[in-house]
Amino acid sequence: MSRRVAGLGIGLVFGVVLSWSGMTSPTVIRGALLFQHAYLFLFFASAVITATAGCWLLRRLRLRALIGGEPIGWDPQPPARRHIVGSVVFGIGWGIADACPGPIATQLGQGAWWGVWTLAGVVLGVALFLRGGLAETEPAREPRAAAAVSDSRRSPDRRSRTAPAGP
Amino acid sequence: MLHSQLPWYLAGPALGLCVVACRLLLNGRLGVTGGYSEIVGRVVRGSLRFDWRGWMLVGIVLGATVFALIAGGPDFHGYGWLTATFTGSERVLVAPILVISGALIGFGAKLAGGCTSGNGLSGNAMLSRASLAATATFFGTAIAVSFITRALV
Repeated sequence: MSRRVAGLGIGLVFGVVLSWSGMTSPTVIRGALLFQHAYLFLFFASAVITATAGCWLLRRLRLRALIGGEPIGWDPQPPARRHIVGSVVFGIGWGIADACPGPIATQLGQGAWWGVWTLAGVVLGVALFLRGGLAETEPAREPRAAAAVSDSRRSPDRRSRTAPAGP
Repeated sequence: MLHSQLPWYLAGPALGLCVVACRLLLNGRLGVTGGYSEIVGRVVRGSLRFDWRGWMLVGIVLGATVFALIAGGPDFHGYGWLTATFTGSERVLVAPILVISGALIGFGAKLAGGCTSGNGLSGNAMLSRASLAATATFFGTAIAVSFITRALV
């Protein structure tokens, strides 16, 4: 199985779960952000707990990735100014549009056409960022992954994905 | 919300397992913004050879289509508080508001190194303090913005 097929498969499951949990609806997101119901927070927290436990276990067992065979691992990055600044900018957009990048994609997939406008905005924002040649921030570095041949890093003109450690 | 919501104690762990699957299969960090970035970055250079992150985003769109086909149409009509607030001739404001919000979402997520999935799910699962700080910040900001806009309209 190629990396692309794996990505597509994970995306399919992710898209179904995100849709089935109601996150596609801006009314559901807004209701959560106004503390009218707890679903989103319970959903998010249980997802993080599951993901943390699973990733911890994979690293603990010193497993290698099933595709490519990289040792599973990562080095967390310390918080830098742009994690905060970026998240404030992101949070403003999220709080107004009541959709983040995953739900914007599921709106498109469901045929909820208002989401096309938000999607156009995201494309614009990402393009502006890439055009600015700004260093991409990562919450954690994957040192072994950087050396391995990964199809995301084959492109010669790809801008550096390894952010400096400090601000 | 027209369709029945999967209970959080099933939906949350299922979403978390997507993050784990991404690690197990690819040693990759699941981040939806990474998918947009991959596709936009390739397309502006005239290429459609997306890596797995681009294909993951394609998968999310298709997964939502499968859901809508089974559930019978989209999950909602109109667009939340925006179409409820801006009615009649004011309706023209909704599209530019969504475009500007989307631009803030895209640019901000790139600057922060992740969105609700890349930082919120995957970054926190890596016990990254940067992601914890990012998550607290975007949740806090979005909650504040929601209460402010509710007070204004």
